[in-house]
Amino acid sequence: MTSNAKISIRQFSVLIMFYTIGTTILVIPSSLAADAKQNAWIAAIAGWLLGLLIVAVYMVLGKLFPHMNIIQYLAHVLGKWFGKLIALGLIFFSFIGAATVIFYMGNFMTTQVMPETPIEAFIVLFASLIVLGLRLGLEVLARTAEILFPWFVILFVILALFLIPEIELEKIMPITEFGIKPIMKGAVSYASYSSLPLIVFFMIYPASLNRNKEAGKAFFIGTFLGGIFVIIVTFLSISILGVDFTERNMYPSYALGKQIIIGNFIQRVEILIAGIWFMTIFFKSALYAYSFVTGLAQIFECKDYRPLVLPSGMILAAYSLIVYPDVVYMMDFDTTVYIPFSLVFGLLLPLMLLGAGILHKRMIK
Amino acid sequence: MKDRDPFYYILQPDFVLMNRRVYKQTLVARPSYTLEIQRKEWMHMTNNHVQTEPLKDKLEDNLNKIRNELGGSDDIIIREIGFGKDRIAHAAVIYTDGLADTKLITDFILDSQTQGNHAEEIDHATDEDNLLDALKSLALNLGDHKEITDFAGLYSNLLSGNTVLLLDGFARGIAAGTQGWKGRSVSEPVAQSVVRGPQEGFTETLRTNTSMVRRKIKDPNLWLETMQIGKVTKTDVAIMYIKGIVNDKIVEEVRARLGRIDIDGILESGYIEELIQDEAYSPFPTVSNTERPDSVAAELLEGRVAILVDGTPFVLIVPTLFISFFQTAEDYYQRADISTLLRIIRFISLFIAMVGPALYIAITTFHQELLPTQLLISLAAQREGVPFPAFIEALMMEVTFEVLREAGIRMPRPIGQAVSIVGTLVIGQAAVEAGIVSASMVIVVSITAISSFVITGYSMAISIRMIRFVIMGLAAAFGIFGIVVAMIALVLHLCSLRSFGIPFMSPFAPFIPADHKDTIFRFPHWAQSTRPRLINQKNTTRELMSRPTKPEK
Repeated sequence: MTSNAKISIRQFSVLIMFYTIGTTILVIPSSLAADAKQNAWIAAIAGWLLGLLIVAVYMVLGKLFPHMNIIQYLAHVLGKWFGKLIALGLIFFSFIGAATVIFYMGNFMTTQVMPETPIEAFIVLFASLIVLGLRLGLEVLARTAEILFPWFVILFVILALFLIPEIELEKIMPITEFGIKPIMKGAVSYASYSSLPLIVFFMIYPASLNRNKEAGKAFFIGTFLGGIFVIIVTFLSISILGVDFTERNMYPSYALGKQIIIGNFIQRVEILIAGIWFMTIFFKSALYAYSFVTGLAQIFECKDYRPLVLPSGMILAAYSLIVYPDVVYMMDFDTTVYIPFSLVFGLLLPLMLLGAGILHKRMIK
Repeated sequence: MKDRDPFYYILQPDFVLMNRRVYKQTLVARPSYTLEIQRKEWMHMTNNHVQTEPLKDKLEDNLNKIRNELGGSDDIIIREIGFGKDRIAHAAVIYTDGLADTKLITDFILDSQTQGNHAEEIDHATDEDNLLDALKSLALNLGDHKEITDFAGLYSNLLSGNTVLLLDGFARGIAAGTQGWKGRSVSEPVAQSVVRGPQEGFTETLRTNTSMVRRKIKDPNLWLETMQIGKVTKTDVAIMYIKGIVNDKIVEEVRARLGRIDIDGILESGYIEELIQDEAYSPFPTVSNTERPDSVAAELLEGRVAILVDGTPFVLIVPTLFISFFQTAEDYYQRADISTLLRIIRFISLFIAMVGPALYIAITTFHQELLPTQLLISLAAQREGVPFPAFIEALMMEVTFEVLREAGIRMPRPIGQAVSIVGTLVIGQAAVEAGIVSASMVIVVSITAISSFVITGYSMAISIRMIRFVIMGLAAAFGIFGIVVAMIALVLHLCSLRSFGIPFMSPFAPFIPADHKDTIFRFPHWAQSTRPRLINQKNTTRELMSRPTKPEK
């Protein structure tokens, strides 16, 4: 069923970048500040480096099967049935990921922007957008990312430039007050948000890229750039809003937008800045959903994944309403359950697969 | 008697002498229903099976059949002549009055009667073929000729302005090119005028149009293929391209798609456009049109294919990219920097035309904090007396404007002034004073309207008009979030479009750095060294010139 959609290296990097930024940009400053206090930005850098390390593992793994996606590879190495079982686990991970990301979007809108509109309205609209994107296919998604990328950069540069006057460096002092441990904890939570979910890209990488050889580099560049954006936002949050406010605020980067005041006429532009994460969250959820739908189609050996898109979208929309019963549950889940959950699929699985793959190759020889 | 009167053989009882030379077939008054029935039969014949009945031997039979099948139409002229020494050869000249050049034909007939140089030849013509050849050489001073053997060929030639010569005793005839009718002369293009640049536009005549392109590109590689499309209208459709620059696969695709068309009539290139575009359900045009020969020449030089349709000055260009709708001919005649600025202005206009009213709705309904306090207070004061929500207000104004615009276009010119007076008074002032809409809404609608005029591709501008309403609805329900969702959906859709296999949004997506020499920026001509990459990959070098250098001292 592997559609012969091919995307270019550049498009792949942009997709990775959008995906890495995804919801991370919205929520990570708060959770990093909770762990590492004023050193949250150092934790972000540490998490970014950790993420690059994980991507290095992915790159090695990708070299093992340049013409397959992960579901095919699982079946190839672990046998048809056992491979499919693990693949089911992986698409479950994608499914949960997509649902939670859609919920984030709806929750953000109802709590921060339009409190009187029911969350269902946002979720249904957003899910329809994802369904539209998936029906049009990976190539179209990738091209859309390419077109929206400059807009994203422009909005981000506006945000960062306009906030420079507000920075108060004393807020990030003293550096490494609590030692290295909270920083490492923050780094792990950063990686679990933005780097470990990159495992879903194995549905695209490396088989659906037009130049396989440079794919690893693109993977790396995407993660690298995406991380820089997140680090900048974390730094701005801490240095402008302060540790306390960042920690207590669920969406500190949105609060950042409220701080912009230029010459008495550009003010409170947070909703325009929010356009940044409308875009990134769209790509994150669409890629999660893509991995879910194509994985599902592959496990059940459907010829085309498109007939599954609309029903999956409906299930996702419904499930995203109940995936978190309330926000308290969400925060609890994100800090306690999600990290080991993503570690299993994002790190343990690829490592295991790497070992199995190398063994498999040796045995064949 | 026979010697003195050259028209001896034509004096048949069926003909009435109209003037010294021209004889018109008498019109027998028939009840109109017979004509109707005949027309239906004719439609039936042409629709279901191509009429390939061969010509008959006897001239009289042929002529009777023609008269019958054309319903005795008044404008079909049949003149019978005899030529050769002693007028032994009996022939008929058939043409359509108004379509054929009558002067040419009368000259020909006169020649056939007076010139004796072929007479001997005909005398010796014992062989039948020689007689036909003699007729052919006689017809030399008419246009190009081809031989016809069946009625289908006869009719299509006759009805497109050619003259048909039939000879008694032959089941073959000659069709000579005598097309010449009253067409509009070449004049300034109406829809795409320029300040600097050629002031000529295409006309309704295909041949004039192709000649105008030829005049711009004098290269043997400029190829032209003509076909007839439309079972009833039999419209001439020509495709033009430069061999060696064009991508052969695209030409092949154009040919295939045109060949697939099965329709009764083509009256304008819009018919062709809808029948050959890639995506049937899309508000965006994936085929562009132009009425400027210089634009067509430029597009051909970039490796595109032009489709010219007889009867319309609008020529289709494929493949078309999104960016084509923001480029004008004048961009290339002006200085590069000013053209770049104008292009940026066009993109800003696109943005305003699309989301202007939607942004107003979203900001005044949901995101008032965006506005500086004083502006907010004055807006609130204006809207105090307006009973409607911003969305209804905007919808009313937009619909009114669209109505006015439509009225302005369709009305006879002299009444147009009345429309504009009513429009300015009613919409501009009275609506605000009556408290139906706020003054700021009027400003937003006006800016939107003016912006939509800036987009150079008219077919793109009208699709933007349509999409505007959808975005307004989403903005009314979801604020900026709705607008962003709409924009993402729009970009998704645009990225999924293709025009003859070329991604519609290229060179933005897929991003091709080399092709950005002529998108948002218009590089100077000396810097535009390559042709657009996706359209043709073979012959990409446009010029090999470096920046103009100053003379050495």
